[in-house]
Amino acid sequence: MSGAALAVERLAAPFGDQPGLDGIDFTVDPGRRLVIAGASGAGKTTLLRAIAGLGPVTGGRVLVRGRDVTARPAEARDVVYLHQTPLLFPHLSVLENVAFPLRVRRMPEAEVRARAAHALELVQLGGLGSRPPRALSGGQRHRVALARALVARPAVLLLDEPLASLDPTLRDEVRGAILQLQAEYGAALVVVTHDLDEAALLADRIGVLLERRLAQLAPPGELFRQPASLAVARFLGIPNALPGRVHGDGTFECALGRIAPDGAALRAGPAVAVFRPEALAVADRGAIRARIVEIRHRVRDTTAIALVGETPLEVRIDPARMPAPGAIVALELHPGSVTVLEA
Amino acid sequence: MRPGRWGLAGAVLVAAPVLVGIGYTALGAVGVVGVGAQGFGLARIGRVLGERAVWSGLGWTLAVATAATALATAAAVLVAVTFRSTRPGDRAARALALVPLPVPQIVAAAAAVLLLGQSGYLARLAHALGLIGAPEQMPPLVYDRSGVGLILALAWKEAPFLSLIAFSLLAVRGAALEEVARSLGAPAAERFRRVTWPLLWRGMLPAIIAVFIVQAGAYEAAALLAPSDPLALPLLTLERYTDLDLARRADAFVLGFVGMLLAALAVAAHEWARHRWELLEP
Amino acid sequence: MTRRLPAAFGLAALALSACVPLALLGLWSVAGAWFYPALRPPTFTLEAWRALASARARLGPAALASLGLALANGALAAAVAFPVGRALAALAGWRRRLGAALVFLPVAAPPIALGIGLQYSALVLGLGGTPLGVLLAHAVPSVGFLSLYFLGIFTAFDRRIEDEARSLGASPAQILRRVTLPLLRRPIAEAVLLGMLISWAQVPLTQLVGGGLVRTLPLEVLAYVRSGQDRYAAAGALVLVLPGLAAIAAARIAARRAEVPPL
Repeated sequence: MSGAALAVERLAAPFGDQPGLDGIDFTVDPGRRLVIAGASGAGKTTLLRAIAGLGPVTGGRVLVRGRDVTARPAEARDVVYLHQTPLLFPHLSVLENVAFPLRVRRMPEAEVRARAAHALELVQLGGLGSRPPRALSGGQRHRVALARALVARPAVLLLDEPLASLDPTLRDEVRGAILQLQAEYGAALVVVTHDLDEAALLADRIGVLLERRLAQLAPPGELFRQPASLAVARFLGIPNALPGRVHGDGTFECALGRIAPDGAALRAGPAVAVFRPEALAVADRGAIRARIVEIRHRVRDTTAIALVGETPLEVRIDPARMPAPGAIVALELHPGSVTVLEA
Repeated sequence: MRPGRWGLAGAVLVAAPVLVGIGYTALGAVGVVGVGAQGFGLARIGRVLGERAVWSGLGWTLAVATAATALATAAAVLVAVTFRSTRPGDRAARALALVPLPVPQIVAAAAAVLLLGQSGYLARLAHALGLIGAPEQMPPLVYDRSGVGLILALAWKEAPFLSLIAFSLLAVRGAALEEVARSLGAPAAERFRRVTWPLLWRGMLPAIIAVFIVQAGAYEAAALLAPSDPLALPLLTLERYTDLDLARRADAFVLGFVGMLLAALAVAAHEWARHRWELLEP
Repeated sequence: MTRRLPAAFGLAALALSACVPLALLGLWSVAGAWFYPALRPPTFTLEAWRALASARARLGPAALASLGLALANGALAAAVAFPVGRALAALAGWRRRLGAALVFLPVAAPPIALGIGLQYSALVLGLGGTPLGVLLAHAVPSVGFLSLYFLGIFTAFDRRIEDEARSLGASPAQILRRVTLPLLRRPIAEAVLLGMLISWAQVPLTQLVGGGLVRTLPLEVLAYVRSGQDRYAAAGALVLVLPGLAAIAAARIAARRAEVPPL
């Protein structure tokens, strides 16, 4: 804990006059990247701004490098908040933009120039220092904004949906710059996004912001395989949720049969099994009968919606052996890919 | 819509009275047209431009306009920066700052006479406080070489126009850029020096130029508040134009041309400033 | 925290700056013989205000003349500036800058010099000393100012809605009548008000082109201040300023109701 660059404890921040965020806890170590994912309007920007000191806080603490900065103004927190669209100072050249945080810290001129130039070199913009910001392309502006944010070595960098409005090429460019600069300057990164793919690209850990709290905080693999609750599973877009019952021996019974899920022991009682389309397959033989009602074609795969009783389930199918709509097929469930959650 | 030619043609039409006026005053200055025309000659121009009254009047007018513009700009920036939040107190302050906006120049000047004259309300307050006895002891603020009353009246009337622009600049771009500066570690004084003020003066410059030239040409305020020596350029021009000596009437053409020339220069500077920092416009 | 105190002073200063001149005008307009060093008028009289309402005194007819000129100027200048601003907004590059500079010239030109030129034109056209001549004189700076105003409006105006109407089969005249004008109702009304304000406050052009025959309210106020008749001057000045203030207040209230940025 004492080595953490950023520690947020029971942070509460209002949305306008609504109660808002309620008890957010996490820590981030230097050089690590935490991505907070949540739906639009969930309070992601509110959270970042509260940490940065740009928004009100109604409870809890923010600690940067072990020191409580909750009462400090934004400029004294050693935390940099970056807007989604790069906001470069239009009256300053690119180099002067990057030099800005160094100048306001009254560093000697020679050092300012050297460090600013170095930062620009890191993002491959070394030759553009004397240009005005309006002469730069979108991707270049993002890179300048990032260099400017990190050149003074802040403890924490907060990124508000950094890749959201970018096309794929630009995404790679900006993502590359983020990783490169972080490797050089060692800041802790907190990123917020509504896009899970973006989260997976950047995160060491992902925090899911639901219902004004962090519902789960885990590395991406663990999160995607083992969502902690039904709400998180829904947020992750896991389409299949099958209600059933957990018996005293720890097995789970549902319309697809009885399975013994691995993982922690479950309490007896009503439960829901969540699983991705890949967990189901059309089998030659199997106890479960389902009727195909719809075929869905996507770039990456093809799935079918199959009715088991009244419950629709999404099944991954092999396009080479596509069943016809209306056909009755047998389904097989791989228990290892199923997560059983309390209802 | 057929753009291009129509646009410029329309603009020329709108500017025609001034363009014709420039031509007319130029021709009158060289003696070709107008009252007192004695045929082409540059002598009149030489004589008029050599007169002490003309140079001191022109200098005085420009000095007063500069002071009034500087004062109005300072007031506008101060109000915009101090009262920029959405709190009710700040909003009230911004609304109050805009009150003089629709006030006609003649009204501002009349109020200035009533307030700042030697027997005006300020003098009466001074008397009540025991600072002065007779009205003559009140330092003259109107109808005086110092031009203080005129400067105050002009600045009071024009400041709201600059305030509007400053408010807009700060609200749209200023707020976001200031936040960036804060996040990058800049305390309040540095933010103002490095971000807010550079943004404001560049964004306001066209309006500042416009205010300057309007104040320099202002007639009614000068008529009530300016001294008779040095005589402000608009008043001097009118005086010559209505002179009983017909020969002197043509002097007004030279003075009018000088005024028009200054206006044309100001318009060019205004357009240049608008284009130079276009991206800073709100 | 420590910022509150100077800010409070600033607010008080702004309130004083806004209210004192107008309050003084108000007081003086109803003051009986009020001389130095009295801080309050010893007697009150409505004489000046009655003169405003009267047709026989000078203030009343002057106010009416000003009102008529203002209405006519507002309508005329807005009507002329509308197409000019629209055409300018369609320009780009140096043409746009030149156009904007040209329409700005009548606004920046010193009114005395401009008035001298206009007086000559008025005399030539036989309009010297007539209300029509004065109206046209007022229109010169008004059209310039409003052209810049409409240039701004049309620059922000999304032309695509007109294109949409065209692809639905409307002729240019129909588009103007059914789409553009209704959408721009508020800016047009504001433009007319601004044009009215410019004419309402005008002094040198009226003086020069009107030749003393067209007496407007601001001319009377000027004359009264010069001759030391403060009561009439103050009443006239208040009548000059109140409509403008009322219009701005109304615009802000309407804008707040509509949640639209004002002026």
